[in-house]
Amino acid sequence: MSTEFDGESLSSRFGRQAVTLVLIATVLFLASPVILTFVSSFATDWTGVLPKGFVTVQNWQAVIFGNDIGANVALGSSLFYSVGLALGGVVINLIVGVPIAYAVARYDFWGRDWINIFAILPLAPGIILGIAFLRTYPDLSTSGIALVIGYSLLKAPYMVMAVQSSFESMDLQQLEESSRSLGASWFRTFLTIIVPNARTGIIAGSIISWTLAAAEFNFSYIVYSRGTPPLSLFLFKNITNSSFLNAAAAVSVFFLLIAGVTIALQIIGHQRSGSTV
Amino acid sequence: MSVDSESVVGKTRQRAAAVVAPVFSPRSERERELRRIVALCVPFLVLVLFSGFFPLVEMARISVSEAQFTTRGFTLKAYRTLATDPYYLSVAFNSLWFAAATTLASIAVAVPVAHALEKYDLPGKRAFVTVMSFPNSLPGIVAAFMIIVLFGNTGLLTNLFAVLSGQSATTLAIATTVAGLFFAYLYSMIPRAMLLLRGTYAEVNNDAEEAARSLGATPFQTFRYVTLPQIKPGLIGAFILVFRTGLAIFGTILILKSLLVWTLQINRELATDFNLARASAMATVWFLFVFVFTMLALKYTSAEVSIG
Repeated sequence: MSTEFDGESLSSRFGRQAVTLVLIATVLFLASPVILTFVSSFATDWTGVLPKGFVTVQNWQAVIFGNDIGANVALGSSLFYSVGLALGGVVINLIVGVPIAYAVARYDFWGRDWINIFAILPLAPGIILGIAFLRTYPDLSTSGIALVIGYSLLKAPYMVMAVQSSFESMDLQQLEESSRSLGASWFRTFLTIIVPNARTGIIAGSIISWTLAAAEFNFSYIVYSRGTPPLSLFLFKNITNSSFLNAAAAVSVFFLLIAGVTIALQIIGHQRSGSTV
Repeated sequence: MSVDSESVVGKTRQRAAAVVAPVFSPRSERERELRRIVALCVPFLVLVLFSGFFPLVEMARISVSEAQFTTRGFTLKAYRTLATDPYYLSVAFNSLWFAAATTLASIAVAVPVAHALEKYDLPGKRAFVTVMSFPNSLPGIVAAFMIIVLFGNTGLLTNLFAVLSGQSATTLAIATTVAGLFFAYLYSMIPRAMLLLRGTYAEVNNDAEEAARSLGATPFQTFRYVTLPQIKPGLIGAFILVFRTGLAIFGTILILKSLLVWTLQINRELATDFNLARASAMATVWFLFVFVFTMLALKYTSAEVSIG
């Protein structure tokens, strides 16, 4: 109705549509292969545009119990091994991440900004740290301890960020001073007042750093030498050596893991928004 | 001097105590606070020391070692090769241009996405956010697999184009070409860029934009002169972090293998003849380059890093 009107520019006519289109294209680009992988893991054949021959569980069986072709390792041992390794990493992350997040959020001190940058920026990525670990801790790498230590350094930033966001929504100074004035020592205040109040951030940080440690491939690939392969190496073997549909089933196992974690995080987020009213 | 029961007595701590006496026997509230800050930072610093600093120093020592299986002597042979061999220079060049190009592309996509999510009233916004954050938890090898699902020989888009154009699927498959790799990088980098930019967008002042619109600015002018200056620090911060991500990608390229970048070459040094010295030199160069780049970029630009 206002085409004759000077102010009606190209951007006001098509801007919003174009931006929305980019959003939709991005969502499709990111989501469609995930959905297709999951769906095709139940198919017997994928030669045309879409997979066909539903529904079969033979791909899942091959992944979970192992078969003699391709990657003949069963999922169970790798999954449990990685669950344990990643848990070890989370325990270390809790011990180092919660205090440093508190120090940065609560106190003002010399070098605080740099400490903060070091705490939230990964020092070195998986592949570089893997090379560095090769001969520094050769005895540890066979036992999995090297993996745990490496995971904890690589994933510490996610713990620190999650806990920090919890601390930032609390009046730390007031909490600390009230508790101290009622007679609690500083250490007791930290353990029994500060930490429990930041539990949503701590739980969220634990879940995130656990998932990312279980998914860490680059570091595991370089450092792993023998024994049970971690989950990400199990995935790698399936992607490179198995049939396409078997690989799809292996990747789908991983998707289920991440989806479960995402749902858990949403529930925690929901509780948080409910409790702060 | 007395060390109270709270602190664990260790050799290093005793040595440190001589230097920072107030930390161990504080006499004022200010000194007690300092002790608390140190106690809170120590666990993290210990982790960084043992799992970051020591291994990286050892890596640098291996890179200048004269012997292959033990660390001794001093030679710059590996570095000389890296600096003069045209092969390694081209690998470095590949890494840099590819990471820069994918960073620009992923930010170019993430800006409109973050814009739409923040400004527009869209149905199912939360679901969109969840779906687009999902790839942040996926390792690079899975991102590579996702590209094979879309663009591989049996890929969805490959076969769709094959049906539409009548050509064979194998000639249309781009998963293992540089173009396919480009999409694989974007698969990991767009969600990361979006996470960073959503944090930035959350702080944009909406009133100024509304004022600009009501004064007659077009949506594009409003974005260009009102929104963009506000998100600029966040954009620079996102560029730095996403560029670092791009340089660190390894699993994706290990599967798709279509461009010889620095991280893939590091692995080849180990896989072909276990040249740990050269692999360590390459990793040291990578580390120093990214470290210096990050420090300079954070110091000399208005970069702001906010995670939303």
